[in-house]
Amino acid sequence: MAQLNIETEDLVENPTPRVPVAICIDTSGSMSGDPIRELVAGVNQFYDAIDEDDDAHDAAEVCIVEFNSGAKVIQEFASVERLQRITTIAPTGRTYMGEGVNLALDTLDARKRLYSDNGVLYYQPWLVLMTDGGPNGDRAALDRAVQRVTDLAGNKKLTVFAIGIGAGADMDVLARFSPTRPPLRLQGLHFKEFFEWLSKSVARVSQSSPGDTVKLDLAGLAGWAEL
Amino acid sequence: MRGRGHAEDGTVCQDRTQYLSRGGVQAICLSDGAGTATRSEYGAQAITDAGSRFLVDNFEELIANDDGRAVKEAVSQHLLGVLARTADRLGCQVADLAATFLAVAVSGDRFIAVHTGDGVIGYVKDGTLRLMSSPDNSEFANQTTFVTTRGAATSTRLFRGETDEISGFIVMSDGTGASLYNSRSATLARACSTLISVVGRAPTAQVRNPTFKKQLRRVVDTTIRNRTKDDCSLAILARASNAGHLDTP
Repeated sequence: MAQLNIETEDLVENPTPRVPVAICIDTSGSMSGDPIRELVAGVNQFYDAIDEDDDAHDAAEVCIVEFNSGAKVIQEFASVERLQRITTIAPTGRTYMGEGVNLALDTLDARKRLYSDNGVLYYQPWLVLMTDGGPNGDRAALDRAVQRVTDLAGNKKLTVFAIGIGAGADMDVLARFSPTRPPLRLQGLHFKEFFEWLSKSVARVSQSSPGDTVKLDLAGLAGWAEL
Repeated sequence: MRGRGHAEDGTVCQDRTQYLSRGGVQAICLSDGAGTATRSEYGAQAITDAGSRFLVDNFEELIANDDGRAVKEAVSQHLLGVLARTADRLGCQVADLAATFLAVAVSGDRFIAVHTGDGVIGYVKDGTLRLMSSPDNSEFANQTTFVTTRGAATSTRLFRGETDEISGFIVMSDGTGASLYNSRSATLARACSTLISVVGRAPTAQVRNPTFKKQLRRVVDTTIRNRTKDDCSLAILARASNAGHLDTP
């Protein structure tokens, strides 16, 4: 009987399913000094940690939205190969949290559409919301953002991490954004530890297959964050 | 075949396949157990055993029924009943046995195909490779429908037709689909035609471990298995190139 030969060109190369992560950060004036420096270092370390993990490297796509007296995408969605390491962020102005979250959700929606249009599978998107204060932007925008996040998280279409930075963070508002788990308050400025934990969690998700319920290692947060 | 990821973390292969030929009806079945369902390999085994028997024993009744919804419901309920008994025997919950179900049954010049969950069913008709049923992944990559999912019958796909110009069917789990199914274009890889041809050309004389089977196993174990961390399984029913009936490895 003739040898059965299957060549590489007889097979297909499918794209790796993606984990879209939107990081929505408070860059208002109160974040000046150590908080913003530690936050920037933590985000860069997050990129490095993703780069070092084979599964997360192929799957993770990250965007960053900042909010102060407005909201802006400062890093468009990109894989770790194309993510620009942040050199500095200059904190300024007020805390338009609702506007920031709405922009992050819009950016996630656009990314999901792009995946679908190109036949790329993806995992449940993540939203990481970080603030050291309370919202003082448009009330209607805030309520709309809370409603959108609540609906998505309630329908298991979004994983939310609401993070308070320091004693001034409004944990009540963060709790509204995090209906499925309590918000976290960072102990001191443990951004690096948080982002290291986040990268491991992304890796865990990117290794999951149909039927897997990804259990996040919440115990791993102990010591440097309060649940 | 056990996936590389399962080999690394010490878990068992959760894919199962089955072939049954009885009373002029042939069926191939495949089931992929859910990753976090603790006894899903038992679920997959029960589903393939019971599914192949059900399709073979009830082929005429099923294919004659114009009420597709009733047929889907009948298949789903039968499999759920089997899983309930399996769960009782193992002392676990039915949800612990969660698994997908893909099957093709052929009798004479007619076929039935049933598909619940992810994985792919393809076929060759008039010499052209075609997709019959694509993966059902809901919205997210790690979500799909299982036989145990509430309302599984509603998302089950059901097909029937004539085999006149069909030279073979190929059924695969999502692990195999990583190499043989293009999710962007919803098309099958050329290799599928080759694999169906190999089965079609296989000698019909019964031997314990025929050459074509060794060749197929080698392809799955090396080429296909190395391109995914998931379990890989494949079932092929092909028309013998020198005969009128369909054959399987």
